[in-house]
Amino acid sequence: MSASSAFELLHRSIQRWIWRSGWTELRDLQERAIPAILAEDRDVVLAAATASGKTEAAFLPVLSLLAERDRGEEVEGFRALYLSPLKALINDQFDRLRLMGEAAGVPVHRWHGDVPQSQKNRARQHPSGVLLITPESLEALLMRDGLQARRLFGEVRFLIVDELHAFIGTERGRQLQSLLHRVDLASRRTRPRIALSATLGDMPLAADFLRPGRTEPAVIIEGQEGQSELRLQVRGYTGSPPKIPTNDTPTDDTPTHDASTLERIATHIFTHLRGQDNLVFANSRNRVEQLADALHERAQRLGVPHEFYPHHGNLSKEIREQAEAQLKSGRPATAVCTSTLELGIDIGSVQSIAQIGPPPAVASLRQRLGRSGRRAGEPAVLRVYIAEPPLSRDARPDEPLRLRLVQTVAMIELLLARWYEPPRPEALHLSTLVQQLLSVITQLGGARADALYDALCRRGPFRSVTPTLFADVLRSLDRREVLQQSPGDGSLLLGPEGERLTSQYSFYAAFSTEEEYRLVCDGKTLGTLPVTHAVAPGMHLVFAGKRWKILDVSPRESRITVAASPAGTAPSFGGDAGHLHAHVAHTMRALYRREDAPRYLDAPARELLAQGRRQFEALKLGRHWAIDAGTQTLVFPWLGTPGLNALALALTDLGLSVETNRIHLSVDAEPAIVRGALTRLAAEPPPSPARLAAVAPPRETAKHHTLLDAPLLHADYASAHLDVPAAWQWLLARGRAS
Amino acid sequence: MPSTERPKLRARERRAIVQALRAGVVPRAGLHHIQVGRSRELDALMQDIEQVREGGSAVRFVIGEYGSGKTFFLNLIRLVALEKGLVAVQADLTPDKRLQASGGQARALYAELMRNLSTRTKPDGGALPAMVERFIAQADQQARIQRRDTESVICERLADLEELVSGYDFAGVLAAYWRAYQEGDSATQAAVLRWLRAEYPNRTAAKKDLPVSTIIDDENWYDYLKLMGRFAKLAGYEGLVVLVDEAVNLYKLNHKTARSRNYEQILRIVNDSLQGTSEGILFMVGGTPEFLMDPYRGLYSYEALQTRLAENQFAGNGLIDLSGPVIRLQNLAPEDLYVLLANIRRVFVGSSLDAGRVPDEALEAFMRHCAQTIGDAYFRTPRNTVRAFTDLLAILEQNPEASVDQLLGHVRLEREANPDLAPLPEASPSNGSQADEPTSEPDPTPASQMDSDDDLASFSL
Repeated sequence: MSASSAFELLHRSIQRWIWRSGWTELRDLQERAIPAILAEDRDVVLAAATASGKTEAAFLPVLSLLAERDRGEEVEGFRALYLSPLKALINDQFDRLRLMGEAAGVPVHRWHGDVPQSQKNRARQHPSGVLLITPESLEALLMRDGLQARRLFGEVRFLIVDELHAFIGTERGRQLQSLLHRVDLASRRTRPRIALSATLGDMPLAADFLRPGRTEPAVIIEGQEGQSELRLQVRGYTGSPPKIPTNDTPTDDTPTHDASTLERIATHIFTHLRGQDNLVFANSRNRVEQLADALHERAQRLGVPHEFYPHHGNLSKEIREQAEAQLKSGRPATAVCTSTLELGIDIGSVQSIAQIGPPPAVASLRQRLGRSGRRAGEPAVLRVYIAEPPLSRDARPDEPLRLRLVQTVAMIELLLARWYEPPRPEALHLSTLVQQLLSVITQLGGARADALYDALCRRGPFRSVTPTLFADVLRSLDRREVLQQSPGDGSLLLGPEGERLTSQYSFYAAFSTEEEYRLVCDGKTLGTLPVTHAVAPGMHLVFAGKRWKILDVSPRESRITVAASPAGTAPSFGGDAGHLHAHVAHTMRALYRREDAPRYLDAPARELLAQGRRQFEALKLGRHWAIDAGTQTLVFPWLGTPGLNALALALTDLGLSVETNRIHLSVDAEPAIVRGALTRLAAEPPPSPARLAAVAPPRETAKHHTLLDAPLLHADYASAHLDVPAAWQWLLARGRAS
Repeated sequence: MPSTERPKLRARERRAIVQALRAGVVPRAGLHHIQVGRSRELDALMQDIEQVREGGSAVRFVIGEYGSGKTFFLNLIRLVALEKGLVAVQADLTPDKRLQASGGQARALYAELMRNLSTRTKPDGGALPAMVERFIAQADQQARIQRRDTESVICERLADLEELVSGYDFAGVLAAYWRAYQEGDSATQAAVLRWLRAEYPNRTAAKKDLPVSTIIDDENWYDYLKLMGRFAKLAGYEGLVVLVDEAVNLYKLNHKTARSRNYEQILRIVNDSLQGTSEGILFMVGGTPEFLMDPYRGLYSYEALQTRLAENQFAGNGLIDLSGPVIRLQNLAPEDLYVLLANIRRVFVGSSLDAGRVPDEALEAFMRHCAQTIGDAYFRTPRNTVRAFTDLLAILEQNPEASVDQLLGHVRLEREANPDLAPLPEASPSNGSQADEPTSEPDPTPASQMDSDDDLASFSL
């Protein structure tokens, strides 16, 4: 220990704690983090694998400073705030930090939904030391004890965020940014922020997320050691032909998962995952139900304990809590859940992760993977199950491309390269803005529009919201009696509806479980599917191996009314495409051109990849972007979902009938007509994203969207899901090439 | 213009007025030197005060827009009441000082009222000990004259209180004060005062110091306020005036139940006053029109109050009816503000400021300047205008070479802003502690952004 200069900088009590803990040396990450954090004048981002001593790297210097200056003087108020996305993680950290805090004479409090009220009351009455809290609980604390905010947070010196990567680009991440800013405002000081993160390819981007509008660069410290082992397998399945759904039994969107394929996947999961804790992610609720049923049935047949519990937004709270309780119980248990429960399900660590179907995004795959291999010496385990339909002569030409498998491989390659989807700086996050507006108004008992704009938008995290847009949001809320204005001083107050909303426990969370759309034909429900791409009347979509023409979209009731479309052939898969970033699309194209197969593919998966490459070659997709598929033209612009959405809406606006697929469009017209339409679009200046968004009915995808007028929903959708410049760039490049 | 016949200004009053105006608060003394108009409203309140002196009670809601001078008016009444020998208690309602609560906010209001208890000889608050002493002294005197035991006189006098709710404990605590007084036990005397100020957080703490098993809390504070009304008389005062200002904060409470419970308390106060259950108390509540009339958040949202407070349907448009509990203060007109500025000038002139340096034209120029800088807001919020004017006069006074014209360009009027949301001094983290920071001005905003933000400054739904 004598060689360590960082050790010498620490407070005596912390040094003693290190000795007592029997450490022989500080790790490299800690050596570098200690002086940076002790300087207390910069933000610090610590990036390393789990179990690399990240927590200690942050808390040794923080507790050291708190121990030093708190000696003798009694300061009221929390001194350091630690925000974590998971209650389970807070519990883990609480056990570790309590001892370290005891040694330094710094109290450590934990605060989340499962902590007894008496403990919270104690912390509220005598705020001190370190507070470990979730964003939702901090939201609740600011709202309920708004008048106490200065007493509670006035003396905060550090704001620490754990699992920063889990927040980037999400509604919850925007809420976190806002909360950090509001704590700064309450303390009337700009305090250093410390982030703990998984190692990402673009760390400065993560640092910018930690403090929007950063003027001083953050210190970024990446761990060299302790990269935990990752065990990875992608399993390929080829299913039997799809079945047409019968009217009284709603079926799933992807009939490649016909009974036999699903049975095979269930058998593999049952054999390999039983006896330990796991999370199994499927991309739709139906899939979750089917799989959980199949696993349950196997357990019954063999007379072994039931270990697999379904967990998604439509299930009752009791059933979900039962699943969570099982996972925490210590007995082996596996939750089978949807993507949207990624954040809602509060389970600390598991042995392995299974993913059924392609992952929705690289960031979410990283997030899921992060739940396993948390303990030192334990590898992270990921199994991905991909099913593709069997090759047949009359299949549409995009089917043999094996896009599901290729997307999966592309995402895993990007995950291994530490890439992740960067947040869109222009994203408005209006739903979370509504939440933060109501929260600040509740906290302060009313506030003026200009002060709110300044705090939340101009200097806060909602920088892409203009004053005009902000005023429209306020008017929208006024129309729904969410807000009202005091005529005297002009301050905004909660209206009847705002009071109702904010008094609900669920208000504190910025994210909601994503709705799945119900598909209705002739008054009968065909089934449900998650819809991530743009849908408008006149467009087509693929469901249960058939093409359907969209007649009506009702976001309020999450219902899409369709009619069977006689025209064209359908690929036998569709639906769960997720939100593909342009870089994923580019990586997929690059994969088609290569010849090697990654080691993590099993033999059937390897064969599927080879099939896809053969079809890519056969269609000459390296050079051509349009494929004549009989009555349809398939368009491959290799754009991400936002670019593809922009193109689909622009073509729909011209009167063409478009179906948005995973990576391409399918247009009900001959290639010549499609070409003409694209040329016409290229000749015009790009439309404004909000105008283009208005081609489709407004989408209510986020929690408070129901409180916003249609033009705001269009603007919000455009800011997050449309990339007009990318679409037009492609249109112009195509024009030049031909 | 009103006549310039005013009582002579004393140096002490002058200092107090100047200091208060420069700090942006209503002066506690010498108000009549700057008071403008409102003579009929004053007359009505004078009658109320007489009524209270005769053992009656009254309740008044002083309603006016922001800056119409509610606080000024309430303070004026307070000073008049003190002159007439009443005791006054006053406090602003805030989110954590309310009329009804379960988390100590009502007790906090009561404590604030008691801390601000003032009498004619102690007009700045803190007169509770003097009041108790006066009660003891008078009882002692009576005992000596009648050659009786002082404690028995005290008990006899307090017996009157015991018939009221909580009266027994109130009397018991005062008796304890007397015993401690005799024994020179200043700790117990302090404990009694602390108890009377509702500063004991719980019964256990009170029990330790005093022979009493209750405290003044959220539940019973209003009973004790009524007892204080009686006690004021017993101590030789003419009655009690209770001034509660900033009632808009009840209107702003976030939850309907919280508002309703506070309005329920107001209903009790109104009923007690109209039925004469509260003797010797004048209750005054200052608030804005929305506090009174908003159908969802205001007093009118509580039906029983709406019927009791409904104004004379013929009043308005210049006709007033001051017999109901609601008194409407009309907004200050620019002419009123002119008189106000002239009055403030007179406070300065006559000591070291030469009248010729601030001619009437200078007053007009000052008002024009304000109107140009922030528009009509200047006379709707006289506080800032008055403050700027007082600052200007202070400079003139101390710098014989300075002139109004030369200073006018430097007059800055600030809009009132929420301190909780104000921009932070630095955009990047710093390790400086809060106190060490230089108080720097926020970044100047680029002109282009100012335009769009101004839309929000005057934003209305």
